Amino acid sequence: MTTSVTTETLTNGRTYTHRTAAHCETGVTSALFFDKGFNLSEPMIFGIGSGIFFGHLPFIKWTGLPITTFRAMPGLVFKKTAKRLGAKVYRKRFHSPQKGMDELRRVIRTGQIAAVTTNVYWLSFFPRRYRFNFSGHNFIVLYENENGFRISDPALLEYITDCSAYDMERARFARGPMEARGLMYYPTYVNPNPDIRKACITGMMDTCNQMLKIPIPLFGIKGMRLVARKIIKWPEKLGYVEACRQLAHILRFQEEMGTGGAGFRYMFAAFLQEASELFGSKELNNLSNEMTAIGDTWREFAVVSSRIIKQRKSKREETFEKAGGLMLICAGREEQLFKDLRDAVEKLKS
Amino acid sequence: MELEDELFNDGLPKAYYKHNDKGQYVLETEAPWAEKVSVALLISGNRANLEEIRKAVIAGQKSPLCYYMEMRQLEPGMLAKAAGIAVFRAKRHLRPEIFAKLKPSVLNRYTKALRVTLEELKTVPNI
Repeated sequence: MTTSVTTETLTNGRTYTHRTAAHCETGVTSALFFDKGFNLSEPMIFGIGSGIFFGHLPFIKWTGLPITTFRAMPGLVFKKTAKRLGAKVYRKRFHSPQKGMDELRRVIRTGQIAAVTTNVYWLSFFPRRYRFNFSGHNFIVLYENENGFRISDPALLEYITDCSAYDMERARFARGPMEARGLMYYPTYVNPNPDIRKACITGMMDTCNQMLKIPIPLFGIKGMRLVARKIIKWPEKLGYVEACRQLAHILRFQEEMGTGGAGFRYMFAAFLQEASELFGSKELNNLSNEMTAIGDTWREFAVVSSRIIKQRKSKREETFEKAGGLMLICAGREEQLFKDLRDAVEKLKS
Repeated sequence: MELEDELFNDGLPKAYYKHNDKGQYVLETEAPWAEKVSVALLISGNRANLEEIRKAVIAGQKSPLCYYMEMRQLEPGMLAKAAGIAVFRAKRHLRPEIFAKLKPSVLNRYTKALRVTLEELKTVPNI
């Protein structure tokens, strides 16, 4: 895997290496573990932490639009990965901003790097197009300097920069849906020789359960089918312009929020590829190829939807039925894939 | 489309996974077309909305607080939480006649939450 590298010297003389990643949380986890001397790539962390998911949350709204997520809840990937690899972690939220900032300063003064969860809107170093009220962006704080804090954001390319203390406090303690409340975390101890094979198996089984077995029709494959059926009904129910906005919001979650393309499906395929090398399993490799194909179908859904959005003034070639149909195809194929994956993993165990 | 290019040329790119010729996954920086279109639609929608509110404020139908709330992409509930004011009060303050009577102590809470100065909060930019 080719990643660009920038380095930075920490207060205690150690070197920190910036590694670019597609997603903020997996990238941060990978960088934190690497700092403790344990090298694991981003897709591996994503798979072990069971990051892939689907959920439709009509009752939580951002600027009046419901959330359709393609990932597990923010914070869970780090927690699960650490547990499965036998690492001990420090993870804390704060009620008072003052205490939260003091604790962060105390930790980074000891030379330990720490990750913080922030609201993207208040980060002035972030590109304008990504800045909206979303309290779930993670980055790493390296040390304190005269401008505030030196930080490294794995979700951006070759990026180590300064962030003022005021920005940091505002972003960490922003109010709104899914408040971060100054969440900061870092591993205190990392097992140097963990059982990666076992962790992979646990992660994959958990992923299959998340996608197939949650008995609420908003999550997993069932959720995908629900949203697909909703999309087909939108133009009649909401009117054309509002339906376009809703569709654009889904696309934003699928492509933009650091998913690495096609709503994390490519990243999961990369994980299956690495796992197949680890286990020497042909089946996993085939599943990886299948996941890539599903990712391509998601991309196609995105392209069709974008055409709908673009065409709203002129002739209408692509319809909401077609977009919804593509999503139903994705749901069907993913259901089969996760069932196959479950069978393959059960064989790996014995 | 100009807006898409304008948005995506500003700031650093993000990374995306891509299948290369050898069947391996690599990171690249070209944003997919669908992302550009959807982001442009949502942002242009937000901008149009903000402009509409600005005109309504000048016409005296809405309070300047409404404009700054929209500018920070907040909703009454979130604004109330951030300022430490009850939601029903914050909603009342969106009406211009009630906003005009507010005490400086209440206004100061809003300026802190919205990160604007007191003078700015009382008016909207008149272009």
